Amino acid sequence: MPICSVRPVRITLDVNGERHELDAEDDRRLLDVLRDDLGLLGAKLACGEGACGACAVLLDGRPVASCILLAAAAEGRAVTTIEGIGRDGPTRLQEAFVAEDALQCGFCTPGQVVTATALLAATSSPSREEIRAAMAGNLCRCGAYPKIERAILRAAGSGG
Amino acid sequence: MVRLVRGESEMEGRVEEVWTLVEDDDQLEPWPAEPELEVLGRPATRQDGAARAGGRVRYTVDVRLPGMLHAAVLRSPRANARVTRLDLDAALAVPGVRAALGPDTELSLSVRSALLRSEPGYAGQPIAVVAADTPRQATAGVAALALELEELPPAVDRDAVLAEQRFTADPAEIERGDVDAALAAADVRVELELETPDHLQTALEPHAAVAAWDGENLTAWISTQGIYAAREELALTFGLPKAAVRVVSEYIGGGFGAKQGAGTEALLAAELARRTGHPVRLVNDRHAEQLDGGRRAWTRQSVRLGARRDGTIVAVDADAVIDQGRGGWVPPVLVPALTLYRCENARALTFPLRTNRRAQNAFRAPGVVEGTACFEQAVDELAAALGLDPLELRRLNHVDVDQASGDPYSSKQLLACYDRAAELAGWSGRDSLRAPQPDGLLRGMGCASQIWWGGGGPPAHASVRLDADAQARVVTGIQDIGTGTYTTARVVAAQELGLPIEHVTVVGGDTAHETYGPVAGGSMTTPSVMPAVRSAAGKVRRTLLQLAGDVLEIAAADLELVGGRIRSRDGALDVDVLEVTSKLGDATIDGSGSRGPNAPGSRVQTFGCQIARVAVDPAVGEVRVEQVVAVHDVGRVVNPLGASSQIEGGVLQGVAFALSEELVVDPTTGVPVNATLDDYKLPTIADTPEIVAELVHVPDPTLPHVGAKGLGEPPIIPTAAAIANAFAHATGRRARALPLTRARVLEALR
Repeated sequence: MPICSVRPVRITLDVNGERHELDAEDDRRLLDVLRDDLGLLGAKLACGEGACGACAVLLDGRPVASCILLAAAAEGRAVTTIEGIGRDGPTRLQEAFVAEDALQCGFCTPGQVVTATALLAATSSPSREEIRAAMAGNLCRCGAYPKIERAILRAAGSGG
Repeated sequence: MVRLVRGESEMEGRVEEVWTLVEDDDQLEPWPAEPELEVLGRPATRQDGAARAGGRVRYTVDVRLPGMLHAAVLRSPRANARVTRLDLDAALAVPGVRAALGPDTELSLSVRSALLRSEPGYAGQPIAVVAADTPRQATAGVAALALELEELPPAVDRDAVLAEQRFTADPAEIERGDVDAALAAADVRVELELETPDHLQTALEPHAAVAAWDGENLTAWISTQGIYAAREELALTFGLPKAAVRVVSEYIGGGFGAKQGAGTEALLAAELARRTGHPVRLVNDRHAEQLDGGRRAWTRQSVRLGARRDGTIVAVDADAVIDQGRGGWVPPVLVPALTLYRCENARALTFPLRTNRRAQNAFRAPGVVEGTACFEQAVDELAAALGLDPLELRRLNHVDVDQASGDPYSSKQLLACYDRAAELAGWSGRDSLRAPQPDGLLRGMGCASQIWWGGGGPPAHASVRLDADAQARVVTGIQDIGTGTYTTARVVAAQELGLPIEHVTVVGGDTAHETYGPVAGGSMTTPSVMPAVRSAAGKVRRTLLQLAGDVLEIAAADLELVGGRIRSRDGALDVDVLEVTSKLGDATIDGSGSRGPNAPGSRVQTFGCQIARVAVDPAVGEVRVEQVVAVHDVGRVVNPLGASSQIEGGVLQGVAFALSEELVVDPTTGVPVNATLDDYKLPTIADTPEIVAELVHVPDPTLPHVGAKGLGEPPIIPTAAAIANAFAHATGRRARALPLTRARVLEALR
């Protein structure tokens, strides 16, 4: 009893610099492939409609909501997850998140770090307004926002 | 000596009598009152901060087990209905589906709980559940159920329900003194009626559970605030001894009160796992979470205050209509009205409405957020009627005795909070804000006070084990919903042990440790658990010094342990602690501690004051909060870094309660229309005001060993009232309801 017509496709993904070939239905979301097929559990499903940023990953360096992106649409693009960002040890930004206590329950934190990493790559010394504009799509229910802002400023200040 | 003592256990004002096992520990010296010791009172980053920032922390939604099935829940699309068709056989015929349960399915639960309903009483109530090999198959199974319903008229119009007197419990009245006479005799009287919204906890990790059976032993990973409460619920429900149930919840993606106990998710997952012989994962999707994850109840409150011309409050008369939905305990909405200020004549009347909404449940300072939002606005109205400064009116009516019981407060630094908050906010210049502003906005400043429990109590236990490498492992029964409890315990243990904090690791979140800790709620974890942690660490320190005396051939009484160094008090000897511990070999030094009862005869409460500054755009009805100053009294501050995070987070939730968050229900169907993160307006970083957080550091003298009260709830409590009072200061108007949406603001300004 199919809900809708799906067909299996072979998808080739470049994730954190590694090439993965997998067979998947053509309507699979990138987030599900990352979490369920590749075991990369850092990105989180929280809203499923691109409204909260917990699932953020980088696509060719730009943050996207992987919960509303078809996996097939990421073919030929470089996908970077939180696992890829911290692979060679914590970045200055991640160290700043810890030092400033810019996280509480931590569920949104991978998405926050991914989005802020893209911001700092594009703008080495962002203003408070630029930080707020870039990060406004990443919800934090615990309300770590003041310290997320400070952590990004701290990382930028140290040349990050 | 170990004793069993009978005493009171309090959570959020609900008191029960309990027997508690207590290991007496009278060898701990009180810590000095200074805010900073070697470790205690200094900023400590999270023990697990790097793992969290690296995305390496594993939550319940991340649990993956071999052979694990995926469950999907069929929820009622209507607020009041009767199931007329539900085809379980069709669901079972879907490839991959292993089980389908409906309202009539005979469950293995030994205690029959109505998890699945044939007459759902709110939109989102579970009707059936399906488990399948893949999430997609589970969803297909739910679709195959082909649910048909007979719709019944939903009771969602509160005025109609009130007129029909449909309640979940009898309306309750509390009165002291003679309120009617005092009101009649008052020089000045004010009255205010206000509504507060349905408010959703919205933890970003939804309710989630994974259950797996091994014979008659059950392991459940649950996104829960209370691993021991969840274990008890599962053991009771499935007729198992506690020892046969293990609950794991090391990291929780937020709870805010909504995740107490096992929850429907764990009960259904365990039932499905038992039937299928496979582990089962059940995770709410966002829509389900917003419909059924939890709800702070809507209220309509009216407050009448009477005062003498000099500002003395002589009468408080408050009532609250509370939308309980399908039930739940009645939140203490009118406690602030009864206890915030000195007043001999006070009356509180509550009407718990029964409607076709989800049962209300705990959301950070349940009841007291709503009650303070209304009562503290009425107090400002009284100040205006008297021509008094609002802070001055609050100072005038300050009280050091609990107005309900007559017991003195154990410690209350509220006057200091007022002074410091006023200084930080520039309160003395507040009226200059009302001068014409260059940007055309209307500005104002308002304040509000806070009262909450937070004294904690028994039972709580901890153990500490120190090894030859001088590494200490602290075992607790707590779980970290984001407040940083493991780090708080780490600070306390490191201070007592006399070791650098890096030498201490705290574990929790797993009942396999068999070390009991309370639910993470009611601002209880720090005051309840940290005394047990300190007591356990103290025993290890004393044993270590005794062994050091043997090794160094000095009387243990002449030795002290500070910062990982063992020193003689005369300064002649100063060696690394490893000099002693390295001789332990494979042996360890162990200590255990437990939380004793609070000293009788006084009430432990937390207090605080917040001052908000707002800017109102009268053209479009937008309210922006520019600054919130938050000064609270929570006794000793263990970790100022984590404490400031708690305050900022509470304030932000309070800002959103005041300005944007509200579950909106279709009045004809009773179905919520904004149960998604796109439409339910959580605050974002762009909405964040400047938050100035301070704590008045005065250790509570009655709380054992540490003197720290709880901090989880207090910072959310006064924020909305302070903002609404600032709005009134800016505009001269009050909106009849929170949140202060543009529509309500424009209506108020009309």
